Amino acid sequence: MDVTDPGRGARWDATWRMILRQEANVSAALSLLMLVIWVLSGGSFWPRWVWFALAVPLALQVGVRRGLGAPRGQRLLAVHSAVTVVLALMMLAIWVLAGARGFFWPAWPALGLGTALAVHGWIRHGFATDRERALIDRVEVLTRTRSGALDVQAAELRRIERDLHDGAQARMVSVAMNLGLAEELLDKDPQSLAELLAESRSSMLTALDELRTVMRGIQPPVLADRGLEGAVRALALHLAVPVTVASEVPGQAPPPVESAVYFAVSECLANVVKHSGARSAGVELGYRDGVLSVVVSDDGDGGASVTAGTGLRGVARRLEVFDGTIELTSPAGGPTVVRMEVPCELSSPRT
Amino acid sequence: MRAVIAEDLTLLREGLARILKAHDIEVAAAVGDPVALAKALEEEHPDIAIVDVRMPPTFTNEGLAAAISERARRPGMPILVLSQYVEPLYARELMLSDAAGVGYLLKDRVADVGAFIDAVRRVAGGGTVLDPDVVTSMLSHRDRNHAMARLTAREREVLAYMAEGRSNTAIAGKLVVTPKAVDKHINSIFMKLDLPLDADDNRRVLAVLRYLQAD
Repeated sequence: MDVTDPGRGARWDATWRMILRQEANVSAALSLLMLVIWVLSGGSFWPRWVWFALAVPLALQVGVRRGLGAPRGQRLLAVHSAVTVVLALMMLAIWVLAGARGFFWPAWPALGLGTALAVHGWIRHGFATDRERALIDRVEVLTRTRSGALDVQAAELRRIERDLHDGAQARMVSVAMNLGLAEELLDKDPQSLAELLAESRSSMLTALDELRTVMRGIQPPVLADRGLEGAVRALALHLAVPVTVASEVPGQAPPPVESAVYFAVSECLANVVKHSGARSAGVELGYRDGVLSVVVSDDGDGGASVTAGTGLRGVARRLEVFDGTIELTSPAGGPTVVRMEVPCELSSPRT
Repeated sequence: MRAVIAEDLTLLREGLARILKAHDIEVAAAVGDPVALAKALEEEHPDIAIVDVRMPPTFTNEGLAAAISERARRPGMPILVLSQYVEPLYARELMLSDAAGVGYLLKDRVADVGAFIDAVRRVAGGGTVLDPDVVTSMLSHRDRNHAMARLTAREREVLAYMAEGRSNTAIAGKLVVTPKAVDKHINSIFMKLDLPLDADDNRRVLAVLRYLQAD
């Protein structure tokens, strides 16, 4: 599939599937026809050879197509494997259809094909040095996390635009409408005017509130003012569940790491409040051997999983960008512990 | 006069309804999505539909798409499209086939209640109303178009007001000149844009269309 143009790839895919379906239909019709002819004419059961002849090209097409679907760089080997499998099955089929008697000759060609495939595989994978393999792995990780980071970012921007459009902006439009109407009512209907003004004021205050919420979602001001520990403490104060915060981080992590970790803690604590039924929770921030670690634990019901919601998966993708990891243990009955680690350098502590 | 409102945000739907009612425009139906809009137009036969650009299910521009398809189904059905941001591209799409009875305004304009009600009535009467923001942004691209480049600065100004749906008298008031002078400018615009003399009723709309299509 063409990476630069998924549309074309998808179209070609659909066309190919259609062609294959047509071929399968024609083959099925032919097979049936042969069966009918055999029933009418009798003799040895020769239609099996026609079926075989029809099946081989179909199997080859499916196999090659599958092989081509493999990621770039592994395609040739995948196609080779598919063709090998089809050929081996073909020879086995010939042997069986011929009566499955006597010497099992397909063993020899199968051995030859298998050796060729093994050599191909060895050349492809065995030749790379350790350093090359490490680089290949690294590139794969970077490619994956980069696209993950961009997805997360794009989703965030969409959410922010939506929140502003449907929230603060809509409220301001409605306030402007009310004020316009109020102007007209100035002499005519002071009672309705007063109601409109009161409604406008409360709408304006709600709009301000919504703006603050959006801003907190973009970059909480307290994170810039007080750093990660302070922001996490501030976050804990907002929550319905009591949260103890302990921190032993002798310095400041880079701002992007602080931001990612802050939102990760925020997501975890939101889960604690929403789902866990916990009576208390704790956040521990630590730093050892170049790794910032964050442990969020609660005494709730447990049973949480990374795959259940989008929240923790989003956290994982955010942390991956910094080669960070997330580890969740949450047996049924609790407690739930989320351990996150992000390698980073610390700068000197805030004064 | 009877109107149908399509706006998914309750707050704004109610605000709009309140303003229309205060000016003796009956709200035949107030709905929140394009499907309900189509149904309301079918059942109520209103004099005008006031449609928000962004509606469910995708919250992008289905209001615009609905307006265009409803006008294709019911030629001449007056529709005033409202939005929290205006986009000249959308204005052009909206007015491409026929600009009579079409309006496109920022929601902010509703705050000037008198002018908004005036715009609603003008669109319902087959007029064209374009948001000043769209006009300004299109004016800034005028140099790319040869026909537009032939107009004098004053004539472009007059044309911009025409695009906003202003009458000759109103334009005269805005520019502080006599209506007769405005008449002269408008005739000159028609000449320069090669608009035929016989289509007198439509020439203003045609001029606006020419203006919209300029790029």
